[in-house]
Amino acid sequence: MILNEKEGGALMLRKRKLFGMVILILISTFFIPIMVFPAEKKVVRVWHTETEPATIAAFQEIINDFEKLHPDITIKQEGLAWGDLEAKLTAALAAGSPPDAAHGQAVTCASFYAKGLLRSQEDIAAVIGRDNIWEPVRMQCFHDGKYYGIPHSPNVSLLIYRKDIFKAKGLKQPETWDDFIKVAQAMMERDKDGRVTRYGLSLPGTPLFINILVGELTAANGGRLFDLKTGRPTFTEKQVVEVLDFYKKLNDTVLPPGWLGHAYLDTFANLATGKAAMLYQGYGRGAGYIEKYAPKGTGNPDHFGVMVKPHGPSGKQTAAQIDAEPWMIFKNAKYPEEAAEFIKFFFKEEEYIKYLHTVPIHLLPTLKSVQRSKAYQANEMYQRWKEWVDMDYYYFEKNLAKPTLITQWADLKLPFGLEILGSGIVVDMVTDAVRGMPSKEAAAKAQARAEELITKLGYKRW
Amino acid sequence: MNRWRLRHLSTRGLLYVGAILLALQAAFPFFWMVSTSFKPPTEVFAQPPTFIPNDPNWDNFHRLFTATGFLTYFRNSLIVSGLAVLLTMVVSAAGAYSLTRYQYLGREKIAGLILCTYMFAPIMVVIPFFILVKKMGIENTHFALVLAFTSFCLPFTLWLMRAFFKTIPLQLEEAALVDGAGRVRAVIHVILPLALPGIIATSIFTFILAWNDYIFTRILITSDELKTLPVGVQDLFHSSLIDWGLIMAAGMMITIPALLFFVAVQRYLIRGWGAGAVKG
Amino acid sequence: MKDLSDPGARPVASSGAESLSATIAVQPRLSRWARWIPTTRPKRREQLAGALTISPALILILGLTLYPVAYSIWLSLLEKHSFFPQERFVGLENYFYLWKDAEFWSSLWLGTVYSIWTIVFQVVLGVAAALILSETFVGRGLVRAIVLFPYMVPTIVAVILWKWLLNDMYGVVNYWMVALRIVRDPISWLGADHIMLSTIIMSIWQFFPFVLLSILARLQTIPPELYEAAKVDGASALRRFVHITLPQIWGILFVVILLRSIWMFTKFDTVWLMGEGAGAGRFIRTLPVYAYMRTLTYYQAGLGAALAVIMFAILVVCTVIYFRLFREEADIG
Repeated sequence: MILNEKEGGALMLRKRKLFGMVILILISTFFIPIMVFPAEKKVVRVWHTETEPATIAAFQEIINDFEKLHPDITIKQEGLAWGDLEAKLTAALAAGSPPDAAHGQAVTCASFYAKGLLRSQEDIAAVIGRDNIWEPVRMQCFHDGKYYGIPHSPNVSLLIYRKDIFKAKGLKQPETWDDFIKVAQAMMERDKDGRVTRYGLSLPGTPLFINILVGELTAANGGRLFDLKTGRPTFTEKQVVEVLDFYKKLNDTVLPPGWLGHAYLDTFANLATGKAAMLYQGYGRGAGYIEKYAPKGTGNPDHFGVMVKPHGPSGKQTAAQIDAEPWMIFKNAKYPEEAAEFIKFFFKEEEYIKYLHTVPIHLLPTLKSVQRSKAYQANEMYQRWKEWVDMDYYYFEKNLAKPTLITQWADLKLPFGLEILGSGIVVDMVTDAVRGMPSKEAAAKAQARAEELITKLGYKRW
Repeated sequence: MNRWRLRHLSTRGLLYVGAILLALQAAFPFFWMVSTSFKPPTEVFAQPPTFIPNDPNWDNFHRLFTATGFLTYFRNSLIVSGLAVLLTMVVSAAGAYSLTRYQYLGREKIAGLILCTYMFAPIMVVIPFFILVKKMGIENTHFALVLAFTSFCLPFTLWLMRAFFKTIPLQLEEAALVDGAGRVRAVIHVILPLALPGIIATSIFTFILAWNDYIFTRILITSDELKTLPVGVQDLFHSSLIDWGLIMAAGMMITIPALLFFVAVQRYLIRGWGAGAVKG
Repeated sequence: MKDLSDPGARPVASSGAESLSATIAVQPRLSRWARWIPTTRPKRREQLAGALTISPALILILGLTLYPVAYSIWLSLLEKHSFFPQERFVGLENYFYLWKDAEFWSSLWLGTVYSIWTIVFQVVLGVAAALILSETFVGRGLVRAIVLFPYMVPTIVAVILWKWLLNDMYGVVNYWMVALRIVRDPISWLGADHIMLSTIIMSIWQFFPFVLLSILARLQTIPPELYEAAKVDGASALRRFVHITLPQIWGILFVVILLRSIWMFTKFDTVWLMGEGAGAGRFIRTLPVYAYMRTLTYYQAGLGAALAVIMFAILVVCTVIYFRLFREEADIG
C-alpha cells in the first residue's frame, strides 16, 4: 500500500470522523421513538387471555370508562394466548416487575399464593358482594379463608353432538364410556369405498387439552390423580389406567387417525363441517364458530346440541372441567391498589355485561346478580343457544366441574400443580398409550417421571 | 453443429423445467393463501377445495383493516426492521471490511468470538436480555427492539459480509490506490460495485430476520400500539374464533409489499455489475 | 493464463511488508497458533483503522450478548424456579441430571436428525436453484422475486399455511393425493408418524431461499470470461461447475453452510409452532424446544439454561471440527 504518512493520517482522521458521525446520528434517531409517560399518570398493566378482537375492544371501552372517572390512572391491557402469557409472566417476574393484574389458571393462582406473591382480594369481594359470587367458582383461588383470585368468567367443557343425526338414528344418551363409544360408532359414516367421511369424535391433541381431559375422565371414573395426604401421584391406580384404556379404544375406533395433531379449533371445524359427530371438549365459543362455518341453515342448536357426559366403569358420576381464570393481583407490582379499583369497576353490571356479550355463550357471569339480570339475558345469541348455557349451569350446580388436572378441590393445595401441568408428563402418558404401549406400563412410566419431578422441586412428602 | 444445438436445447429445456418447478413450489402456497383470503368462511372448508373462490369478496380484508390493529403493526414492523437493517448493515459492512482488509492482532480471534455469540440459542437469551433492557430502562420501546434485532443479526451479517468481501481481490484496491485515488474513493468506486450483490443479499436477510422476529417482540413489548406483525398475527390466530380468511388476508398483506420490493431490487443482482474492472 | 479473480492463485503484491495485506486471501498453512502472530509488524495506522472499523460491531455485540450469555451460564449452575426468586447453587448437578435424562437424549437425537436433513437439502436445493436463476431466461425477474416468498413470510404465517395445506381433513395436499389415487386414505401429516417429515419439508421450503440468494449474489460477480474460456476449451457443463463455479462460490458456501447449521440446530419458532412440544409435538421435541419447555413449562430455569449451554458447547465443537475439515479458501491446483 503506497500511501505516505501524512496522507494516511489525514485519511484515517476523516474516516474516523465519518464513522463517528454516522453512528452518532443513528443512535440519536433512536431516542425519538421512546415513549415517555408524563410523570403524574399511573400506568396500570393488566394482562388477560381473551384475544378475541371484539372482547379486547369491549375491555378497552371499560377501561376508557374507568379512566374518565380516574384521570390520574392509565390502564394498559394486553390480551395473550395462555402460552404467551406464561412466557411474559416468567420474564416479568424474573426481572422483578410483574404486571399489576393478570389472568391465571387455578393452579397458577395456587402456586403464586403459596409463594406469597398475591394481594388479597377481600375488598373486591366485599364490593361485589361475597354472597353474590357464584358458589361453584368460589374455590378457584380461595385460600386460608380469603379470596386471592376472583374468576373473570366461568364456563364448562361440554359434550357437543349432532342432534339431528342422533335423533335420526334413534340413539339413546350414553351413561357409561362403553355406551359412549357405541353411540359414537353409530354416528360414523363411510363412503362407498369404505373411507370414513364422518368420525365419531374429534379431540384436540394439544398438551393443554389432553391434560384437561385426563383430569375430567379420572374424576368421571371415580379416581384421583394425587394422594391428598402425601401429594404422591396416583397414576398407576386402576381408575387412571382405565382412562388410558378408554383413550386407546377411542383412538382405535372413533377418532381420526391424526387427532394428536389437531388443534382445539380444528375440532370445531371438524364438527361444524360434519367431519366429526361429537366433541368431548367443546366450549361455549364453539357456538359462534358453528354459526360461522356450518353449512347454511344448520348452524343452530337443533343440529348441534349438548348432553351430559358419561361416567367411567369405576365411577358413578360424570365430570367436566371448569375454565375460569381468576384475576390475580401481584403484591409487588407498581400499582396493585389501582388494579384492585379497576377490577371492582370491571365487575359493575353495566361494564361487565359489555365484556360478557362479546362471546355470549362462553363468557358467563361470575356474579349471580348479573346471571339473573334482564339486561344480560337480553342477548340474541344467548337466547338462541340457551340449551348450552343451561348445561353449563347443570354441571356447576351439581359441583361436577373442576379446574384442569384437579379431581378434588383440595388438590389445589398441592404446590406443584403448575409444573406437572407444564411438563407434559400426563400428555406423554396418553401419547404412549395410544401409540401401543400397554396402559399399565404407560401409567407406571408417567408415575416415575412425576415422582421424580416433584422430588426435584423439593416437594416430596412420601 | 446439430449435436451442439440439441445439447443446447435440452439444457435450455431442463433450465425452464427447473425454473418452473422453483416458481411453483414457492407460488403454490402463496396462491393458496391469496385464494383463501378472498373466501367467505363457509367456503374455506369446502370439499373438494376450490381454487378460485366461488364468491370472492373483500370482507376479510375489510375486517383486517378495521377490526384489528393490522395497519399499526405493519407500520411498526417497517420502522423497527428498517432501522435494524440500517444499523446492522453499516456496522457490519465496516466490520467486515476491517476483518478482511486490515491486519491487526487477534483479528481472526475476534471473528471467531463474534461467531461464538451467534451460537447461543436466541430463545434462551430472551429473558436475560429482557432483564438487561429493564435495567437500562428502555423496555417496551422500539429502541430496545432494534437493539435486540441487531444483537442477533450482527454476528451473522458480519460473517456473511466478510465472506463476500473476501471474494474481492485486494489487487483491485491496490490498483486504484496506485492510480492515486484515496482509500475512500477506492472503496466507493472499486469495492462497492463488486460488493453490491453481497450487500443487497445480506440486507434482505437482515430485514427478513428482523421482520419475522416473534419471541423478542413478545417479551419486550407490552403496548398494543408498538407491536409488530408477527406478534399481531399470532394474537389473531389465537383469538378464539379463528378466522382463516382473516389470517390469510393478513399473510397476503404482509407478503405483497415485500414481494414488490424484491422485484424492484433483484435487478441489482445481475452479472457484470463492475465485473469488468480487472483485466489481465 | 493468470486467473485474477481466483483467490487461490494471487500473485503477491509490491513491497515486502505490505504484502501481508495480500496474504488475507492466500491463507498460508500456518499452525493454529502461528496464525495469530503477525509475521511482520503492520503499520500502526493500519492497526488503528482496523480496530476502529471493527469496534462498533464489537461493542454492540459484546454489550448486548455478553450479559445474557453470562447470565445463562451462571443460571445453569443453579437450581432456580422460573417464576420465583428462590435459587440454590448446585454446581454441575443440572448437567449430571441431564446426562441421565432420557428426554434429553431423545431431544438431542431429534434435533440432530432435523438439523442434518434440513441443512443438506437446503444447501443442495439452494445451490441448484441459484444456478438456474443466474441464467437468463424469460420471466427471470419474476421467478427471482417469488422464490423468496417462503423466506420472507413470518414463521407463524408459514406454519399456519402449511398446517392448513397438510391438514388431514381439509388439506389440499391430501385431497390431491387421494384424488390422484396415490394413497387410499388421507395421510396425517401432522400426526405422530409424519410430523417430523412434515416439519423437515416445511423448514427446507422456508429456508432454502437463503442459500439461493447468497449463492446467486456470489455468482453474479464471477467474471464470465472464466466460463467462456472453459467453453472454448470444450468443457462440459458439469466440468465447468466442478472446476470453476464450485471453487468460486466455496468461500460463500462455506460460511452459508456454517451459519445455516448453527441456525437450524438452534431453531425454535418453526418446530415449536408445528407441534407445541407435546401431543404430536413430542415427536419433534428437539433440543431448543426441550430447553424452552424446561424453562417455560416445567419452570426449571436452571435446567433450561444448562440445556442452552450444552447446545452452545456442541455447536462450538462442531464448528471447530468444521473449520478443520474444510478450509475457508478453496484449493486451486
